[in-house]
Amino acid sequence: MNNIWGSMEQYDPVVWNWIIAVYLFMAGLSAGSMLVAIGLKWYKQSRGLPTEGLPVVKAAAVIAPVSICLGMALLVLDLTKPFEFYHILLNYNLTSVMAWGVIALLVYIPLVFVFAGLVFEEPIRRCVPALNGVLKVCRSLEGSLNKLIFALALCVGVYTGFLLSAMISYPILNTAVLPALFLASALSAGSAGNILVATLFFSKKESDCIEQVHRIEYPVAFNEALCLVLLFVGLNFSGPAAQAATSAITSGAWASVFWLGVVGLGLVVPLSASLFAPQSWKHSKGFLVTVSCSTILGVLALRHFVVYAGQSYIS
Amino acid sequence: MTKRYVLVHDENKCIGCQACNVACRSENNVPESVTRIQVRIEGPHGNFPNLHFKYNRVSCEQCENAPCVKVCPTGAAYVADDGIVSINEKKCVGCLYCVAACPYKVRFINPDTKVPDKCDFCKKTRLARGESPACVSVCPTDALCFGDANDPQSEVSQLLDTKTNYQQKANLGTQPRVYRIPSRKGGIKA
Ligand code: SF4
Ligand code: SF4
Repeated sequence: MNNIWGSMEQYDPVVWNWIIAVYLFMAGLSAGSMLVAIGLKWYKQSRGLPTEGLPVVKAAAVIAPVSICLGMALLVLDLTKPFEFYHILLNYNLTSVMAWGVIALLVYIPLVFVFAGLVFEEPIRRCVPALNGVLKVCRSLEGSLNKLIFALALCVGVYTGFLLSAMISYPILNTAVLPALFLASALSAGSAGNILVATLFFSKKESDCIEQVHRIEYPVAFNEALCLVLLFVGLNFSGPAAQAATSAITSGAWASVFWLGVVGLGLVVPLSASLFAPQSWKHSKGFLVTVSCSTILGVLALRHFVVYAGQSYIS
Repeated sequence: MTKRYVLVHDENKCIGCQACNVACRSENNVPESVTRIQVRIEGPHGNFPNLHFKYNRVSCEQCENAPCVKVCPTGAAYVADDGIVSINEKKCVGCLYCVAACPYKVRFINPDTKVPDKCDFCKKTRLARGESPACVSVCPTDALCFGDANDPQSEVSQLLDTKTNYQQKANLGTQPRVYRIPSRKGGIKA
């Protein structure tokens, strides 16, 4: 049918695309891996155990800076005026969640590099002796820096959720559950990412401290599942437009992404793996790699589902 | 802010001729692939022989509580002194947050400037000269009425005081300044 009023192309409700979904994933991965690594450090410290050279912490020191930087690069390239992105660093409209995100990231990004610098202090000292002084200062502040990074990682994980929930006309996005959901899934992506990189590159004994990271997986997965249930049950009670949006999980392509990706890969596979897999598998490299990849893909699917299905239903 | 510019669209008088769409295009140099205003002819509604079409004006609603302004990280989307929701092209980075956040889906990226664009009541041209927006002037059936709602003598005030009217998606709390006089046939679907 031809409309006499002209092209409808610009009225597509899906404005933010997969690039944003991948950015949201990367930011969550970075924040989650920091939270898990710093949490693990504190756990060990509180028990008087050594915290130097933990494979999971090393993994986080690689994942966190790399993923946040790749994410930022994607984000900047996706702007319609990528070469003028600096305006976002000069002007802050404090009613905008994005402005708050920029402030948090502005402090968070350099600090994760400091974190990585301290984890890989030895090799860095060897290769770039000029950094000795800086590293020394950072080391003396390490305790407070870790607290600050932890707080900022929480902000980064949560802000990505508020970023979407501030859009008042999309019922799936405009809920208070979304930031909690994003934080929970950031933690699963972060712990899975840490386990993956630790097993592949840093672990000599296959099980060291991966066990402790595994222990947070149940509560995190439980929270994630709970948030998803709350999200869709809540929609059901929030008026006709919101109710219509619940069909995001019952019909269409995004419903399969939800059930296969988010629920299947993200929740069912990892949970059943740790419940039912024989003890002998649990510390094998292949098993750890498969399960963490499955979790990571699940979180990636969740971000895509939220971005696309979220924008497809408008009230 | 003493003035409160509003636009009233009478859906009984409107015939969906798109003269407003064309006038806006030439007044504001809107590139061909995009539009600041459409009047969508929706329907037919009702049962034969009582059929009717709905003429739905789709353009910036000039929300008093504008979501696009709230979310813009740089303040490039802003409310000007005249109360009109405006865009500062220099500050904009093109993050599309405002485009996504607008509940009426009326912001679009102008392919020439790479900056969001939308209806601004022709404020830099016609309004500055004391004239009505192009769509209002050109409408052959006088379906559009524009003016200051703070002035009780103005035509818009009279209209809003005497005729049944509604705003779209009022439940979102955006307080649109585009008011609609619903068709006498059928119900109101905000
Ligand atoms: S209609 Fe959309 S673009 Fe216009 S003021 Fe409201 S939110 Fe902003
Ligand atoms: S696209 Fe431009 S005007 Fe819109 S929110 Fe982003 S910076 Fe602001």
